[in-house]
Amino acid sequence: MIGYAARRLGWAVLTAFLASIVAFVLFWTIPNVDPEYFLGGAEHGNAYTRARAVEKYGLDDPLPVQYVRLMKEILTGKVACYYACGSLREEFIHALPVTLSLIAGAALIAVGLGVFLALVCVRHRGRWPDRVITACATAAYSIPSLVLASVLWGFLAHKWQIFPERDYVPLTENPFQWARHLLLPWIAASLPFAGAYVHIVRSALLEAVELDYVRTARAKGLSEKRVLRRHVLRNALIPPVNIWGLDFSHAFGGYALYVEVIFELPGIGLLTSNTLNSLDLPPMVALAIYLTLVVVLTSAIVDLVVAWLDPRVRSAPSSP
Amino acid sequence: MSELRATRRGRAASPAALATRHFRRDRAAIAWFTLLAALLLAFLAAPLYAEHVAGTSPSENHLSDVIVVDGKRRHVVSIDAQPIGPTWDKRYFLGADENGRDLAVRLLYGGRTSCFIGACALLLTILLATPLALAAGYFGGRTDSVVSRLLDVIWSFPALLLGVMLSTALALSGATIGPITIEAGAKVVPIAVIGIVYVPYVARPLRGQVMALRGQLFVEAARASGAGPARVMVSELLPHLWTTVLVLTPLMFANAIVLESALSFLGAGVAAPEPSFGVLISQGLGNVLLAPHLLLVPCIAMVLVVLALSGVADGLRRAFDPHGALGVDAVHGQ
Repeated sequence: MIGYAARRLGWAVLTAFLASIVAFVLFWTIPNVDPEYFLGGAEHGNAYTRARAVEKYGLDDPLPVQYVRLMKEILTGKVACYYACGSLREEFIHALPVTLSLIAGAALIAVGLGVFLALVCVRHRGRWPDRVITACATAAYSIPSLVLASVLWGFLAHKWQIFPERDYVPLTENPFQWARHLLLPWIAASLPFAGAYVHIVRSALLEAVELDYVRTARAKGLSEKRVLRRHVLRNALIPPVNIWGLDFSHAFGGYALYVEVIFELPGIGLLTSNTLNSLDLPPMVALAIYLTLVVVLTSAIVDLVVAWLDPRVRSAPSSP
Repeated sequence: MSELRATRRGRAASPAALATRHFRRDRAAIAWFTLLAALLLAFLAAPLYAEHVAGTSPSENHLSDVIVVDGKRRHVVSIDAQPIGPTWDKRYFLGADENGRDLAVRLLYGGRTSCFIGACALLLTILLATPLALAAGYFGGRTDSVVSRLLDVIWSFPALLLGVMLSTALALSGATIGPITIEAGAKVVPIAVIGIVYVPYVARPLRGQVMALRGQLFVEAARASGAGPARVMVSELLPHLWTTVLVLTPLMFANAIVLESALSFLGAGVAAPEPSFGVLISQGLGNVLLAPHLLLVPCIAMVLVVLALSGVADGLRRAFDPHGALGVDAVHGQ
């Protein structure tokens, strides 16, 4: 297990490193976006201020040197902005709990709902509850969370004012208000995933109920409910856990962005959107790298959890 | 029965023919396919509708126009800035937006743009993913590690963020790379971003399949008869992959449309005022108090497109991959 964990974390570090290079190359060397112009006072600058900026920020240095310096600045939180910005790292760490509440809550709802409904489907396989639930699940995952978030906010929060329109209350301050502010974003973010999970878990369960050890459990005289919960579920959940982990880590740079913008939750998504609107390049690269770190780390943790659940994964020869 | 008939005629039906027949008999799949075809045709016919039915263009303002609905004269946009709702008539079938533009026309044009970007991105994904998967699966070893790492990097890069950042960076002044000039707000940017982001989703199942095929006898036979790696990949392995690609196509198309709408919503895909699903939803969100139809109409249209694509995808999976052997279960949208 320790060997596997070390290997997996090594891959994670390598992936983050490669991604940071991609980010650097994409955003630092795009032609026409020259830092010299912006750091040298943009439209108010002249040849002299530009030359000073080149000297001050070392824009003449070879790219690898610039890369190392930028990464250092990003990791210590002291990014040189074109215009003005506070300590990005502080802001990011401040915004992280909001996004985490949104994503973790949505993931829990999606997984809980998905597994519960899939179990109902499998217990009644082939009969009407199965058909109704799978049809509803298909409908649910065909409603993009952008649409769901827009409609929920537009009507329930903005037009009819049933739910709060914006803002966020930390969990530690008032759990009830916290949940009230996050309820609509949770629904918007979790429903499509729950729909997909019903299908994934259902097919995993259906595959498992045909296996020999399940037949043995039934032959022992266990009730169908007990067979499903105690024997089938645990083994059938391993493949879906991978997908949940992936969705969970992707959510940070995915739906969090627009759900937070729509509901004005002061999380990473809103921070990113505000940074983007300022057209400030270095903080954008910094944010991309912070987010990549979160994504890479989360998916590594998920893989470790899967390996812990399923010893077969640990000894697999291929890379994770 | 049908299988029997086919053999009686003296030749066995090919798996593809069987699957096609299965798909054609699948009523749900055919219904979704018809809906999808109707929607796509409607989007393609957007200019015809605009010219011959609505008599306006998607960007033409009619702020001060007055139209006759059920014998009554009504302002397209009333004095207190409220746009007209659906008239269910030739003009303003689905109502007008805050500038007096015909929503039905904008919706059709928007759907056309979204589907165009989605289709181009899908094509790019397949063109990039197939060679990568073939090389990784066939050569294995170091090539495989390099490709897998590349896929991991793409996979771990926050997709939406990448798209938003790239188009913002380009929006500053566009970019000139060699002879190619990318203008600010060009559709190439969302197409490239969406196309690249989804490469791992297609490449991973394909790579697994190539790995499984690599050890089989027909590959060995081809190699023994002197075929080089390129030859084996193109003429022996590639024909086995098209089923997977076919089953994945509608799913990836739906994903691409969803991602495009998110990009456009955040102002990084199609630039307003040119309509696309994301632009229309974002516009509707700002006008929901006065004109709820501006939000509901694009939302419903987009859900219909995605729903039809999921229905077709399910039907294709039932027909071509009844035992879930292709490993495409894990691919889902958002």
